[in-house]
Amino acid sequence: MQGKRKHICIVAPLAFLLFGLTVAGILKPDAAYSETERRVLRGFPEVSGERLDSGKFMSEFEEYAQDQFPGRELFLRVKANGMRYLFGQKDNDGLYKAGGYLSKLEYPMNEARLNRSMTVQQEIYDAYLENTDCHIYMALIPDKNFYLAPEYGYPTMDYGDYVETVKANTSYATYIDLFDSLNLDCYYRTDPHWRQECLLPAAEVLKRGMNLSGTLQYEVVELPNPFYGAYYSQVGLCVEPDTLRFLTNETLENCVVTSFDTGTAKEALLYDMEKAGGRDPYEMFLSGSDALLVVENPGAETDRELVIFRDSFGSSLAPLLVENYSKITLVDLRYMRSEALEEFVEFQNQDVLFLYSTLIY
Amino acid sequence: MQFSGLPFLFCFLPAMLLIYLLTPKKLKNAALFLGSILFYAWGEKRLVFLFLLAILLNYLFGLWIGKYRGTGKSRLFLWISVVGDLGMLFYFKYADFFIGSFNRLLQTSVSLLKVALPVGISFYTFQMISYLADVYRGSVKPQRNLITFGTYVALFPQLIAGPIVRYAQLEDQLEHRTHSLEKVADGARRFVVGLGKKVLIANAMGEVCTRFRATGDASVLFYWMYAVAFMLQIYFDFSGYSDMAIGLGKLFGFTFPENFDYPYISGSITEFWRRWHMSLGGWFRDYVYIPLGGNRKGQKRQLLNIFIVWALTGLWHGASWNFVLWGIFFAVLLIVEKLGFLQWLKKHSTAGHFYVLFFVLLGFVLFNAADFAQLGQDLAGMFGLLSIPSVSVEAVYVLRSYGILFVIGCVGATPLAKVLAGKICERRGLGWLEPAFLCGIFLLVTSYLVAGSFQPFLYFRF
Repeated sequence: MQGKRKHICIVAPLAFLLFGLTVAGILKPDAAYSETERRVLRGFPEVSGERLDSGKFMSEFEEYAQDQFPGRELFLRVKANGMRYLFGQKDNDGLYKAGGYLSKLEYPMNEARLNRSMTVQQEIYDAYLENTDCHIYMALIPDKNFYLAPEYGYPTMDYGDYVETVKANTSYATYIDLFDSLNLDCYYRTDPHWRQECLLPAAEVLKRGMNLSGTLQYEVVELPNPFYGAYYSQVGLCVEPDTLRFLTNETLENCVVTSFDTGTAKEALLYDMEKAGGRDPYEMFLSGSDALLVVENPGAETDRELVIFRDSFGSSLAPLLVENYSKITLVDLRYMRSEALEEFVEFQNQDVLFLYSTLIY
Repeated sequence: MQFSGLPFLFCFLPAMLLIYLLTPKKLKNAALFLGSILFYAWGEKRLVFLFLLAILLNYLFGLWIGKYRGTGKSRLFLWISVVGDLGMLFYFKYADFFIGSFNRLLQTSVSLLKVALPVGISFYTFQMISYLADVYRGSVKPQRNLITFGTYVALFPQLIAGPIVRYAQLEDQLEHRTHSLEKVADGARRFVVGLGKKVLIANAMGEVCTRFRATGDASVLFYWMYAVAFMLQIYFDFSGYSDMAIGLGKLFGFTFPENFDYPYISGSITEFWRRWHMSLGGWFRDYVYIPLGGNRKGQKRQLLNIFIVWALTGLWHGASWNFVLWGIFFAVLLIVEKLGFLQWLKKHSTAGHFYVLFFVLLGFVLFNAADFAQLGQDLAGMFGLLSIPSVSVEAVYVLRSYGILFVIGCVGATPLAKVLAGKICERRGLGWLEPAFLCGIFLLVTSYLVAGSFQPFLYFRF
């Protein structure tokens, strides 16, 4: 290609891209929310002398330009695939794909977070559990990196060290090891959470550790829609979607769930089908993030009670412990102050389980 | 506003190109000047008025120096204006550095001024001084049109981080530049390549440096990876910016001087500094080294001049002693070469290349150290003097994750890639490869920017 034609071949497509994307950006109506990224998008920033002077308008405009860019989701995928397939990068902002699974690097150990969690737990013990007849248990749920990362050459935190640190600092609790009762198959491919239908062995280990036994059989119900988990929307790479399944039986169907999230009692659901079709389908388990929930089992043959301090992983496991208790109280300390707990729970002789994922704790 | 940001790429640049295209020839400089001021004001707000004042004063002093040329008054105006420009640079960039140093030295507690450093001040101050000096010497005529002079100083492609374009290099172009499809194609090509160098390579190398600084799993390998990554980052960051500036210049009809010429293939440090930040090296040569006597007053004076120029070059890069030390580090190497080592290097070119890479790498470790404690730590880590393993899990992971980018960076820092690409595209039937490659780079860069992979240019802080 020579001379003028060569120059036109360079200028024309680049000018088309530059001006085309600019015009598309002007014409495209602003979106308020990104379904795939599960977040509110920045709108056009407010213009004022003060905001211009402080530079706030400029920094917000840069965010606005990113959030409202035409074809944003396509470009996010281009970036993710470019990083992975063109430059051979193993992760994209810490998220990676290996063996058909998406996961997030948990490396090195977040000691500050761990210390904070253990301190909060110690405060709960000091304020509510010391000098009671409660039986206290502690169980850690390994994130899927524990099973996935070493096999594909990704660094992981030292889980042995992590567990030993937790055990040494929670000596008031009986530690129950769930690591051997799970495997990679127990986790969703596109989401950080575990799959309820695979948790019976883990629930069995927990029950044994808490001197319980279970006999209930469960029916597996499969939801028709594909489940695209939280990592799927962030990573921008193609992965087979998951299928959402849940376990149920007559006992579970008869349970009464009450939420105290807003401070007053409100009826909730063990499995919320509306949320299963919502932005985060995993929230179908015990209606998602809730500061305080009570599950009552009217058919229980015992008056034993359980209090679970938990994160979102506990939402799908708690139903599998229902048969052994008349009442299970689930507390998520990320959404409520520990001082407020005394308004809702009187600790006497319940079983108390601290159940946390290594992603959160 | 950054070239590698969405507001610049998809708001300012298309608008500026369109306005420039539609503006009559007589008003093109005015359009460029106003656009450049808007470009500067986006990031600097209040300091834009200081910038405008500096343009006005230098314009007036230029006129007076020219008017009284050959008389004492001209010399006086030159001194006043240069001291004024340097005083402004000193106040904003160096005052707190010297106050802090004196406080430490004399155990005093003089309050720091804590003034914000205006973006690009080191670059535009040097441009204005070159103009005043050239008018004084008579090598250029004073510019009588304020808008034309303002366009020279504020021209947005080179305003923030160079190249340091001297007035003499733009004098004709400011009034009689030509526009052609060939220039636009060259400019677009150069701009996209620079954008790719910055966003795809320099930023990735910056991530390696960030991971290294955040690691709790240090190793000798990781220290060396960090050093190489920073060496590649600073090259691709700054040469990428220069490419973008030169490319943008061409889009608006200007031809700016080159700033980089594959410095990492140099066979001596003397050659390295002829290939690295050429516009700064040229400025110090013409406005400091030669006025100090250069090599005309004997070898001892020449070596002293080299020492002064390189200490100042170091200080120009930042108000911190590690930059001064960095400059002196190169002064020592250049002096050693002047004393005969250069002849040896010319006979042993392979050794020369390794020598340059090794000392430039050490130099950039010094350059990027936050303080002397960190510098000591970095050097000790590289040479196995810390109690750390040779290899760590994270270092291996980062090497595997960024290995291809390291290779692209190393090859891209030599002329090899350009020569190969040229030969491939010249082949019959493969001419479409270049436009496809440029569009691919542009789209990939856009995807990185949309994803929010933003890192400011390293040289913005200078």
